[in-house]
Amino acid sequence: MSEILQIESILNKDYESVNLVLFQEWIESFDKLSKLAVGIIVGPSDDVSLIKDELDFIKLIVLDFNNFDDGRGYSQAYLLSKRWQFTGEIIGINAHLDQLQFMIRSGVTSYVLLDSYVGVNEEDYANGFSICYQEAANNSGLQKKY
Amino acid sequence: MYQYSPEDSNFLVERVNQFEKQLKRHLAGDLDDAKFRSLRLRNGLYMELHAHMLRVAIPYGTLSSTQLRSLADVADKYDRGFGHFTTRQNIQFNWIELPEIANLLRDLSDEGLHAIQTSGKATRNITADPLSGLTDGEIEDARPYCELIRRWFNLHPEFSWLPGKFKIAINGAKLDETALRIHDLGLRLVRNSEDQLGFSVFVGGGLGAAAMIAAETASFVKVEDILSYLESTMRVYNLKGRRDHQKKLRIKFLVRELGADEFSRLVDEDWQQTKNDPNLKLNLVELEQLKKDFALPIKSINLGGFEEKVDFNYSIWKKNNVRSHKINGFSIVNISLTKLGAAPGDATSEQMRILADLGEKYSASELRTTKRQTIVFPYVRKDQVYDLWQSLEKYGLASPHQGTLAQIVACPGRDYCDLAKAVSIPIATRVQERFNDMKTLLDIGDLNINISGCENSCAHHHIADIGLLGMQKNGEEYYQITLAGETLHETVIGKKLGPSVSGENIIDAVEIIVNVYLKNRIDQERFTDVFKRIGIAPFKEKVYE
Repeated sequence: MSEILQIESILNKDYESVNLVLFQEWIESFDKLSKLAVGIIVGPSDDVSLIKDELDFIKLIVLDFNNFDDGRGYSQAYLLSKRWQFTGEIIGINAHLDQLQFMIRSGVTSYVLLDSYVGVNEEDYANGFSICYQEAANNSGLQKKY
Repeated sequence: MYQYSPEDSNFLVERVNQFEKQLKRHLAGDLDDAKFRSLRLRNGLYMELHAHMLRVAIPYGTLSSTQLRSLADVADKYDRGFGHFTTRQNIQFNWIELPEIANLLRDLSDEGLHAIQTSGKATRNITADPLSGLTDGEIEDARPYCELIRRWFNLHPEFSWLPGKFKIAINGAKLDETALRIHDLGLRLVRNSEDQLGFSVFVGGGLGAAAMIAAETASFVKVEDILSYLESTMRVYNLKGRRDHQKKLRIKFLVRELGADEFSRLVDEDWQQTKNDPNLKLNLVELEQLKKDFALPIKSINLGGFEEKVDFNYSIWKKNNVRSHKINGFSIVNISLTKLGAAPGDATSEQMRILADLGEKYSASELRTTKRQTIVFPYVRKDQVYDLWQSLEKYGLASPHQGTLAQIVACPGRDYCDLAKAVSIPIATRVQERFNDMKTLLDIGDLNINISGCENSCAHHHIADIGLLGMQKNGEEYYQITLAGETLHETVIGKKLGPSVSGENIIDAVEIIVNVYLKNRIDQERFTDVFKRIGIAPFKEKVYE
């Protein structure tokens, strides 16, 4: 539970009423949890296709980007937001400054940076480019060249 | 010749600006080594044995004379006056000072050059046949496709943090000069029975400690559908590829573990969700524009009264270095940079400027780089080949080695590389010294020797006629020998000959192998054909007797 408490403490007040559960808990207790306002914490190795038919029951999804070199979160964000049209918030936690541009364009709708990045100019890294070369979940503000 | 638009050039500058900020944070202690390593590699920057090395892309191996001059300027201004042309259509500078990197990259961006994704766990520089557009029987020039696919995977938000590096090659020609089936992903341009243009897709090739030949995952993907197919391939890899074992990161291990059929099925299952998405279709209007940009700058000419010069040295050089062009009146000239004692692929800034000038004068200001670390002049008029040779001769660049055993491919080896287990360049030099007679070299003919200093196989030793792999045994340097690898006509991984041979004896072993070949050769039979006919035993017997 400590991981969940930690995440709850950094989430926006708007989600105070949301019950955060781990991905595995959701899978195992769908019947019970689907009646509540639930947010799911997804780890990099969780198979998000298992919840694609249950997205209407989910308020928000938390993706963990803690491991700098593990890029699975970007595919998870793309699949949830673009392919399966999840309309709730997709929150990237343990985010790294230098990866914001990739997270946002993959479909992450809000993020919480790791503590080590306090005081840096996020704008430089979230919006460092004027054009993009490929279709993505979110290309807003970018001139499309493809 | 194709050039970047102002938006593309601006993108390069934006990328440099971002990397400069990351570098400053690192130097100020605000960005740790591990994360900075991951970021600097994506900008082509390595920390090598003695200094920082920068790998600059030469996309699809095509360079203008102006771009080559700017590389020469970089060699002088930021390095020690030379650069190293690699086996994958990049150029490397070995003595870069970290604080100067942003200015260096800005200088390059002025000429549309960059180091984006030349390393790191992302899509690397996409390579093409260096003879793209020049030879008969080609389906199409692969370079416009390389450029569109390069752009699509340039800082791709979903696929920039893959389990491992991802190398793509595209070939449109009859012969495979790209070695596409030893790439993570290879695309072969093909026409189907309805004469539609598309690609055969091969996934999971690679060299290294576990050399594998890529499996065909799709026999035909229409041109306009290729981006969605590639995305599905990378998505399966990104989500299911091994991340738990440093030596199993490449896609080849995933393909092997799942089996090629199951891997293809997963890709296809994903692709069915996206193949009809109009936003993922290849932009055919842009493709047509690029085809115009890459169109050959020459037209057929009639050289009616032209008579070739009679000169012994010229004729030897011409036999090995010049080949026929599909356009009447023109030749393709291949220039070897090989010099005794120097790393294969090394060029001084002076040589680069000479080649740039000669390219301007004789080859419509365009040059190509090859996986044998040579420089191709793609558009030389037949009646000017002799003049070009005289100029090359004057500057010491008319080595007739191309197409002979002396045109050795070698990585930097333990002299320069942090990872290498053994030296490569001194072995190449000793082989060249042993076979220093042009008559012998001509008699042996086109026989590849590739030397890698470690299992990373940067010199592609598995696909050479004779491959040497450096290793350590009880603190001494040894070399494992592989024979009869190839990629040009078919893809074959070389067979291990037997126990590794000491550095002291390795040149003798090479000579014995060459002699077994010569003794058993019928007419002009290639090394690989002799090997297929007589097998490994006669080579083994003589080397280890």
